Amino acid sequence: MSDQKKAPIRFSSLDGLFKGRQGVLFSIFLLFILFLGVFPFLPFASGFWLNTLTLILLLAAMSIGWNFIGGYTGYAAFGNVAFFGIGAYGTGLSMIRLGLSFFPALLIGAVAAMVFAILIGLPILRLKGHYFAIATVAIATALGEIADSWTSFTGGAAGITLPFFDPIEWSGQFFYYMAYLLAIGGLLLTWFILNRKMGYSWVAIREDEDAANMMGINTTWSKVMAFALSALMAGLAGGIYAYWKTFVLAEEVFKIEYTLQMILAAVLGGTGTIFGPFIGAFIYYILITLLVFFLPVGQLHATILGAIIILVMVFTPKGLMDFISGRKKLSINALLENIRTYRV
Amino acid sequence: METLQLTQGVVNAILLSGTLTLVAIGFSIVWGILNIINLAHGAFLMVGAYITYWLFTLYGVDPFLSLPISMLTMFVVGYMVQRYLINLVIRAPLLVTFLLTFALEIIIINLATFFWKGDLRSVTPDYAGLGFTIGDVQIPYVRLAAFVISLVLTGLLHVFMTYTKTGNAIRATGMDIDAARLQGVRIPQTYALTYALGTALAAGAGTLISISFPIDPTMGGAYTLRAFVICVLGGLGSIPGVILGALLFSFIEVFSGIWAPSLKDAIALLVLVLVLIFRPSGIAGKAFYH
Repeated sequence: MSDQKKAPIRFSSLDGLFKGRQGVLFSIFLLFILFLGVFPFLPFASGFWLNTLTLILLLAAMSIGWNFIGGYTGYAAFGNVAFFGIGAYGTGLSMIRLGLSFFPALLIGAVAAMVFAILIGLPILRLKGHYFAIATVAIATALGEIADSWTSFTGGAAGITLPFFDPIEWSGQFFYYMAYLLAIGGLLLTWFILNRKMGYSWVAIREDEDAANMMGINTTWSKVMAFALSALMAGLAGGIYAYWKTFVLAEEVFKIEYTLQMILAAVLGGTGTIFGPFIGAFIYYILITLLVFFLPVGQLHATILGAIIILVMVFTPKGLMDFISGRKKLSINALLENIRTYRV
Repeated sequence: METLQLTQGVVNAILLSGTLTLVAIGFSIVWGILNIINLAHGAFLMVGAYITYWLFTLYGVDPFLSLPISMLTMFVVGYMVQRYLINLVIRAPLLVTFLLTFALEIIIINLATFFWKGDLRSVTPDYAGLGFTIGDVQIPYVRLAAFVISLVLTGLLHVFMTYTKTGNAIRATGMDIDAARLQGVRIPQTYALTYALGTALAAGAGTLISISFPIDPTMGGAYTLRAFVICVLGGLGSIPGVILGALLFSFIEVFSGIWAPSLKDAIALLVLVLVLIFRPSGIAGKAFYH
């Protein structure tokens, strides 16, 4: 999204973090994070809410990961579900084939996803635009097909079954906190990187890759790192998801809808911002839940998802954050601004 | 490998390449002129196939006769979609149009599954199983007809793009949108027309595919990827390039299907990635639309 003007990196230093309207918003956000932190101990925290929030937090974590490559570096990666799948299979297979406990298995899954990202990233990150996007789709699709047909290793269409979390009555809380820590870890990681040379390299590559190269930035290394870190987030999320559901199936963990959800969450919250993907994941779930609730559609769930994508892309491809935070007033003019800029 | 299997494979690949040319050519002009990757291409193809199926099943219309109906219907649909939706954000960054066409694909497939169910269906006219043999190589009539019709349609497209005023306007828009506008080309309509041509060709391909293969609502995605691979193989935006790319791809597909049936798509996709890495401008070289 190189020709879109992005706000400069916000919250990059601690001064002024709590000043003005930005300070108010940041305080609200911190309170929300704290609220999520103690959520499982609140009286109304039922299994349903824990379940839903775990899903949202996992999506937030993956979306934060996607933001590294898609938001900051500006490479439209459309196959991040591949890393989710590798994380899920890596964790699951290590647990049942090697008999490892969850944490070392999760580490193996995540490292496998990162190594894979580096190996494919080196060649395909040389591609630009559509070519890069389709190459990532192709790799994710091919991986799903391989996982589905390599029965002797992955269990094929029968999937693999993982042991249950022990003690099972704490299972809901355990996975909630895993997802929570992963999402918060992702936020901290984003903030940490943005204050370093790596973060500036990413933005420089997004704005003008040739210029960044001329300035002496090792663009290949920066891009591959962005890709690998996004793989790390998705891989960890995949591993947690696998143990949570105690079941890994190629059709499920390589579903392209997951990539779409990551991107949509990032876009709704604002790509190339620290908190955007995190908040976007919540916005996404609220939107889809409301729509499904008010429209009795049943089987047409995917149509709703598609309609949301179209509406967002046509009216607010820069996300809803400006409206929510009050930086921009929600009006017909504001919604038509995008069309006025990009129509023919 | 036996000689018979080899020759049959070669014949199958050549027959397949005709249909795949038609699948890819619409995708190619939309990409070349509008500079968008139309991820909904396969979904339009699927709708074209279903139009043929329903006309045949409900009214007994011969599948080859339904070709113009399915193409015309989808031409109108494609024109509307581009004119009143995609045109709104056509100059936005890549991610926007990519997601937009992706969303269209999701919606079309979901609606098709909802209304027509996910079952595999086949169009079975009386002559479906007939064919002739040369030596021991079998050639079904329907696939030969599909091959010929594909090439005729591709030829017609070439004539249209090269020798008509509208075709030249489309090509001019692809080369330089501002210069084209100054020459009096109406860009929104031209874009819509280009997209409509792309969807009509996709629908035509869908009709031809439905006669030879079973169809279901999710059949399109594989064809979108194939179209992309073929465009990359052949080099973007040239009709001979697409034909060459389709031929090459058909051989890869047919022979990988013989050797490793379950990994057919994976192999095709790996070929795509390898070509992108080592020869991003395609086998046939550089584009001419641009």
